Amino acid sequence: MATNRLCIEFEKTGLRSIIGPNGAGKTTFINIITGRIPASSGKVHFQGAEITNKPTHELVKLGICRTFQITSIFNNLTVFENVRIAKQANSGGSLRIFSTKKSLKKVACDTWVILERLGLKDLAGLPAKNMSYGDQRILEVAIALAGDPEILFLDEPTAGMSPAETKHISDLIKGLSKEISIVLVEHDMDMVMRISDKITVLHYGSIIAEGAPEEIRTNQLVREAYLGKDT
Amino acid sequence: MSGSPSMPDSHTSLSPLKLIGLVVLFIALALLPFVWGNRFYISLITEIMIYGLLAMSLDVLLGYTGLLSFMHNAYLGIGAYVVGLFLIHVSPTSLWLACLVGVVFTGLVALPVGWIQVRTGGLAFALLTLAFGMMFYTIVWKWYGLTGGDDGLMGVPSPDIQLFGWSVGNTGNPAHMYLLTLFVVAIALILTRRIISSPFGAVLEAIRENEERAAFVGINVRRYKLFGWMLACVLAGTAGALYILCKGYIGPVTMSAFAGAGVLMMVLLGGLGTLWGPIVGAGIFIYIQDYISTMTEHWEIFLGIVVIFLVLFMPTGFVGLGNFFKRLRKD
Repeated sequence: MATNRLCIEFEKTGLRSIIGPNGAGKTTFINIITGRIPASSGKVHFQGAEITNKPTHELVKLGICRTFQITSIFNNLTVFENVRIAKQANSGGSLRIFSTKKSLKKVACDTWVILERLGLKDLAGLPAKNMSYGDQRILEVAIALAGDPEILFLDEPTAGMSPAETKHISDLIKGLSKEISIVLVEHDMDMVMRISDKITVLHYGSIIAEGAPEEIRTNQLVREAYLGKDT
Repeated sequence: MSGSPSMPDSHTSLSPLKLIGLVVLFIALALLPFVWGNRFYISLITEIMIYGLLAMSLDVLLGYTGLLSFMHNAYLGIGAYVVGLFLIHVSPTSLWLACLVGVVFTGLVALPVGWIQVRTGGLAFALLTLAFGMMFYTIVWKWYGLTGGDDGLMGVPSPDIQLFGWSVGNTGNPAHMYLLTLFVVAIALILTRRIISSPFGAVLEAIRENEERAAFVGINVRRYKLFGWMLACVLAGTAGALYILCKGYIGPVTMSAFAGAGVLMMVLLGGLGTLWGPIVGAGIFIYIQDYISTMTEHWEIFLGIVVIFLVLFMPTGFVGLGNFFKRLRKD
């Protein structure tokens, strides 16, 4: 799905949700920003510098991190190793071929902090593939957080989660948005309305509305996009 | 888990008991040629160790980085030919210099090849290894003036083994060659294990597990795939240096795709992602090949059956057999 002449500016902190009917181009949009697919035209700027079509790993170093709609973790590594590799990749030391993994003390420490914060500490030694689906979704967020993001893109973090798990993760996201900029793509409208600071509505690859949750709730164009013109 | 929490790594360091066991095994292997004079078997074990080193280097690529090379034997071949040519044409006595030149040359060939290959992954990568391997095979086979073509490289001299100015043996002596190989392979195994357990090794494993995710945590995937490839090829080149010293001869068949499949089988026989498993696999493979070929020239058929059995019933190789018995006892 293509996106068409989008112009969005993200704040330094806060929670911005991107919603829209299926096929609106939400995921495509964040795929382009995070370097998963190349932009055929248009420009992406980050902190004053142009970053259009930069390699993914360089974008991560700048602080642009993301999670995936379809869980993407390191299956045969433990929960701890999953987060540690992300931490290590952004702290240097990956070329220390004759040190042990344990020698990177700061990396290990930071890893424990993230696991603690996300409530994954007790699962640290478990291979990621043996976790429950809900926990894997949380691990996905933990891996992204380990990249020290300035802006974090979350692609449907609660897809397939139970109400309790959804509550846990939405509280977590809300907490994070006080420190960094969060961009949330989500289908769960209750959650979006409850925790977003600002909402952008996409339809056929274009922005049809932008504003605070109350404004979006009452916006006529948005209602039409979701429910059809007749209503 | 309070204070300083332990590290939940999937591989832990060796227990003291295992370490002692390995030291004892090494000493026993080092004493073997002094108590057992059978030159044929000493040479056979030397060959097993050399192919073990090659299989281990392929394991770095396949078991740790997740990249399949169909013709890793090509890099053994390059190392062997270069060391052989150096000894024949440049200096018949400079053992260490010849080995250094052979290993460095292997690396220099592997670098541009790897640079191209890491732009792909999965099946495309594997097919490129086959394409480059076939190319090297053909060059060696057709360049009669340099390599001896089909006849192979013959008359490679056996230099003395010099250590700190002392001559401690000669590569033409099977017992001396056995000991040289044992030391080199042991050092290579220790170094490789060390590298695999380092933060660098963790990066390779992350790439094996999920290449896209690895890029999205900030890893320059291509660069690290290239590093993994170079490590595997330099180790293969080292095995090549030992090969030519041990045999005094190499032919293009050693660099064929058929031989490449054999190396892959050694890794699968022993167990992927363990480093020592493929060395065991090389032992099984070469022993079967040697034993069966005394009875029938169609030894490949028998080996094929063994491999089919393994893939169906022991997908993790002989290393997995231990876990299999553990499970049985629990039930």
